[in-house]
Amino acid sequence: MISLTTAAPAVSAAFVASLVEVVEAFTIVLAAGTLRGWRGAIAGTAAGLVVLASIVVALGPLLEQVPLHLLQLVIGVLLLLFGMGWLRKAVLRAAGIVPLHDENAAFAAKTAALSDATTPLRSGYDWLGGVMAFKAVLLEGLEVVFIVIAVGAGRGLLLPASVGALAACVVVLAIGAIVHRPLARVPENTLKFAVGVILCAFGVFWTGEGLGIAWPGADLMILLFGALFLIVGLGAVAAIRQPPGAAAR
Amino acid sequence: MNILREVGGGLLKMFVADGWLAAGVVAVVSVAGILTRSGGVPPLIGGAILFLGCIAVLVASVALAGRQHRRDR
Repeated sequence: MISLTTAAPAVSAAFVASLVEVVEAFTIVLAAGTLRGWRGAIAGTAAGLVVLASIVVALGPLLEQVPLHLLQLVIGVLLLLFGMGWLRKAVLRAAGIVPLHDENAAFAAKTAALSDATTPLRSGYDWLGGVMAFKAVLLEGLEVVFIVIAVGAGRGLLLPASVGALAACVVVLAIGAIVHRPLARVPENTLKFAVGVILCAFGVFWTGEGLGIAWPGADLMILLFGALFLIVGLGAVAAIRQPPGAAAR
Repeated sequence: MNILREVGGGLLKMFVADGWLAAGVVAVVSVAGILTRSGGVPPLIGGAILFLGCIAVLVASVALAGRQHRRDR
């Protein structure tokens, strides 16, 4: 039986990280559906989800065969690469070095790309919109799948992590269906910052466990690592902060 | 084929968004791993090297990007 205190970090990490990815995928699917017709966009989305589900079904039993220490080491290193990339980008965005991600701008860019497409819009089914939706769901979904595996596999928490990711999908789809426009108000960079911190903390912890390091305080070290990564991240933002409007174009 | 290439590129970008950062992380993990597994340092010292090394790589990568940005302006 998994206790709430064990599952909560995995559920919340998977939920917040998935929220960022699902919002980005939703923006592209929305652009494809609005401009090229919903049948193609929905078919592309469904195809993307089927491929993702196949990957999860194929990977699940495979992961059980891998020795735990090796699994923790590999996932820990991948978590560090992924999490530190996110944290670095979030720090640079918060400091004004890199422009913030704007869902409205992303929607406008995708809309422009689809409008310029030479393929004529057919009534009913449109491949161009379908392929764009498929790629968006597959690419963003792969990140969600990795996050779920990364925060869940090392401790037998795949199910709670999946629940967190699924909840993020439901929340975004429900809000998206109501407002029917890009979810530009989601504080994407703040979420990315938080997730970057969490993934880095998990990454150091599991890489260490994979190397045979018995951390004092066991799981509590994840909290300490998280707090220290947060302090360093915020300190880095303060140290390199640029005046508003100075971000690179 | 095009989609496969894009998915492959997306996967690579997921883990290697910045080449120097990724190389730094791999180097830190390798050093901590070699020192710990060979018995050169006690495991906890290896853990400290791993954590502090990651922090150093992150700070260096951010500082480098900040300096580059100031130079480009």
